[in-house]
Amino acid sequence: MRTHKLEQSGNWWERLLPSGQGDRAQERGIFGFTTFLLSETMVFASFFVAYLYLRHQTTNWLPPGVPRMELTRPAINTAVLLGSSFVIYFAEHALKHHQIRKFRWLWLTTSVMGTFFLVGQMQEWKGLSFGLNTGLFGATFYLLTGFHGLHVFTGICLQFIMFIRSFIPGNYRIGHFGVTVTALFWHFVDIIWIILFSLLYLWQA
Amino acid sequence: MRNFFQNLLLGASVAMLIIASYWLGQQAYSWMPIQATAEAKQVDHLFSFLVTVGAFIFFGVVSIILYSLIFHRAARDDYSEGHPARGNWQIEALWIVIPTLLVLWIAFQSYQIYQQLNFQGLNLPILVDVPLEDTAKSKETKPLAEEIAVVVKQWAWSFHYPNNIVSDTLHLPVNRTIRLVFYSEDVLHGFYVPEFRIKQDIIPNRRIIFTFTPLRVGKYRLRDSQFSGKNFALMEADVYVEPSTAYSQWLAHNNSQFHDYDKLQSTKLAAIFHH
Amino acid sequence: MLIRAELVTPELNLVNRSFYNSLFTMHGTIMIFLWIIPSLSGLANYLVPLMIGARDMAFPRLNAMAFWIVPPAGLLLLSSFFLPGGSAQSGWWSYPPLSIQNPSGNILNGQLFWILAIILLGISSIMTAINFVTTIVWMRAPGMTFFRMPIFVWTVLSAQILQLFFLPSLTGGLILLLFDLCFGTPFFRPSKGGDPILYQHMFWFYSHPTVYVWALPAFGIFSEIIPAFSRNPLFGYRSVAVASLGIALFSALVWVHHMFTSGTPNWMRMLFMLTTMLVAVPTGVKVLAWTATLWRSKLHLETPMLFALAGVVMFLFAGITGVMLGAVPFDLHVNNTHFIVGHFHYIVYNTITVAIFGAIYFWFPKITGRMYAEGWGKIHFWLTLIAANLTFFPLFPLGLQGMVRRISSYNPEYAKWNFIASLGGFLLGISILPFIANIVSSWLRGIPATNNPWRATGLEWITTSPPPRENFAEIPAVNFPPYSYGQPQAWAGENSPQE
Repeated sequence: MRTHKLEQSGNWWERLLPSGQGDRAQERGIFGFTTFLLSETMVFASFFVAYLYLRHQTTNWLPPGVPRMELTRPAINTAVLLGSSFVIYFAEHALKHHQIRKFRWLWLTTSVMGTFFLVGQMQEWKGLSFGLNTGLFGATFYLLTGFHGLHVFTGICLQFIMFIRSFIPGNYRIGHFGVTVTALFWHFVDIIWIILFSLLYLWQA
Repeated sequence: MRNFFQNLLLGASVAMLIIASYWLGQQAYSWMPIQATAEAKQVDHLFSFLVTVGAFIFFGVVSIILYSLIFHRAARDDYSEGHPARGNWQIEALWIVIPTLLVLWIAFQSYQIYQQLNFQGLNLPILVDVPLEDTAKSKETKPLAEEIAVVVKQWAWSFHYPNNIVSDTLHLPVNRTIRLVFYSEDVLHGFYVPEFRIKQDIIPNRRIIFTFTPLRVGKYRLRDSQFSGKNFALMEADVYVEPSTAYSQWLAHNNSQFHDYDKLQSTKLAAIFHH
Repeated sequence: MLIRAELVTPELNLVNRSFYNSLFTMHGTIMIFLWIIPSLSGLANYLVPLMIGARDMAFPRLNAMAFWIVPPAGLLLLSSFFLPGGSAQSGWWSYPPLSIQNPSGNILNGQLFWILAIILLGISSIMTAINFVTTIVWMRAPGMTFFRMPIFVWTVLSAQILQLFFLPSLTGGLILLLFDLCFGTPFFRPSKGGDPILYQHMFWFYSHPTVYVWALPAFGIFSEIIPAFSRNPLFGYRSVAVASLGIALFSALVWVHHMFTSGTPNWMRMLFMLTTMLVAVPTGVKVLAWTATLWRSKLHLETPMLFALAGVVMFLFAGITGVMLGAVPFDLHVNNTHFIVGHFHYIVYNTITVAIFGAIYFWFPKITGRMYAEGWGKIHFWLTLIAANLTFFPLFPLGLQGMVRRISSYNPEYAKWNFIASLGGFLLGISILPFIANIVSSWLRGIPATNNPWRATGLEWITTSPPPRENFAEIPAVNFPPYSYGQPQAWAGENSPQE
């Protein structure tokens, strides 16, 4: 009755799970993680508001020499990223039905798609004629895509950790909290991208 | 009989409270600096009103607390319940509705006074191409306003008068409409003359205009009110409100004495102000 | 105290101007981010699990992480005093363009350290907020419905919800400021099309709600102490509980009142005047509820109660000046003067810090298992009451007379009130000494305390003083409404268990 640790055996990765009053620990953890995601959303919301505010009061928004933003490559990247959300959903589904190998393949595919997106972003950045200091557009563009990219990178790292953990025998004995929150994080990253893409690329007027 | 006496006492206390609050509200005028503009008079009326209402609430609540402190003390080892009431929805509703009405009343009074103030250009950076004349037309008053540019930088004020006169003191003709155009060369500053009761931050890359009428001849002090760095505490300038004749004389006198540097500054600024 | 020492006389004679500017910048920053927020979080961290009948917070490791960010961030902030250019010197708001000027030209400058420290502390606060909200929602003991929670828990919940949703706005603004400072981006640079007013919006969108993050737990403390020392249930418990959330909600809608003299359009000033006025309503509900609780009760005036009563009265005063400030024409006169400084010090010191003192005395027996010395507690109280009013009341007439804030020297006409305020400041510094002596000596050698020396209601009082490691020998079940002072089983006896 006296211990702080979980009633189950104390492997270090199991101890990484949220503790507290015994049962319903997973649900509590997911609630906590969701509040974290809501908070992160507010950070991006503040960037979006800054973008809208600055854009609203600037007459020549795009940097000189850039008539419009090229859409093809970003559109492909978007499709890949959004697709990966579906893939991760199916991966979770497979895990719930104890199909570990299928889970691992789908999970890996998600990471590959995420990496494709990041590489695509970096290539786009390299190909752009303007920089961070080229006026307001440059600054907001790199800030928004940069922070989003950082989150994509974090998501891929989390996926990697979960992937490795899937090889540990008995890892899912008490549930799959890590997989669930990593997937939640990935969906969050996608939703932010949809808004970002619309604001930066689609809204060209 | 006791009930009547209690009610009388209560009535008397409330009456005293009202009188005391009103008296304090009248005192409030003396806590303010001299009133040098029409706006100052209005602001002081508002302040007096706020003090009256505030005093009534403050002393009212505090007297209830003091009364309890004096007359409702427990015996040393008495931990029994004071009184069982957990609430009373009528009282609670009353103390939601009355404060709401009170603050709405205060807001309305304030709104009416604010409407008499004349600020323009508050949220339009210079890059946005809105010709200032259009916004000015709707508020232009019959007597032509004397337009003076207030240019501020770290850490000095300069004032640009008609006919390109530049000075480090602000001279204003009394009883005439003045149009001050604020411009900052570097960081945020603030224009504040306590006797005028107005304050406006001066924002770089914006052209903010305040139109008002000084009513009282005298010498005042202008202060920078928005923290602007190392020598912020030293950013003061003299303000002279003087009769029109004295003002014109001062302008004429200074006309023959400005420096070439200031001439360059004022032509540069003229381009910004009158583009 | 250095600030008040400099302001004893009109001339500059103690410190140089740059250093004075760092003094008030760092004073504000440290008091907010390293005193008020951490100490209230710490108090809540200790009390909330006890009050809801839980063994610990929902995420103990996250809790530890959040705490351990604070000392390094604090050290980072303090170390900036030793940088060649000194610490940040643009006021605790760090308004650009001033804050991105970087007069020293060094890459490692005080403003950078400031931004990094605050971002770190913000991360710690978000972790804390996640923890509190999850704990309060998920870990209440059986029978503890939301409307049986003590008001302190309600106010902590409301405060932490505010942190969760509004702190990111500050973080976002500071990231943009960081980019401007270090990478030369134009977000807030007017010369490059940027807008310093955007910073003000992002800053105040958080920094207004944050004052309620501080004030709400203080209101919660009053709501615990006053019923216990009046032997009454809190009057209008439900309205007070709902008002806590109401204050949080309204506080989200008023931030522009810090910008009434700034680059805000006339319609915006009027709109936010209205919302600012309305925030007085839920706040008023609380003050009136405390007053009604005191009425026709049986008052015991030990130290915690003295602090609570003084706090309520001084808060009423501060709140009234707040409503005055909401009236835009009046604010145009006193904004950025010492009137504002007086107003907010009446809140942060005379209300919130006074509440924290009251809380420390109130829960001292529970936390340490010993009683503090009551006589010294009263001395501390009277010294504080006198000194706090002496120090901060003069700032109101000074502001009305036009004395601007953040100045290191001033016109001789302001000398009289400044002298009184400085006298008060020194007395305030001295008043802490009996407090520290009392706490330290009582903790070491005070009389052992019983479980419930105040005969108060609340789950924290049914466990031992101090509580065992897991808070309760057995998780209690809750059968009484809160503040059941009419039912002795709810509070009597040292060890009587709940039914």
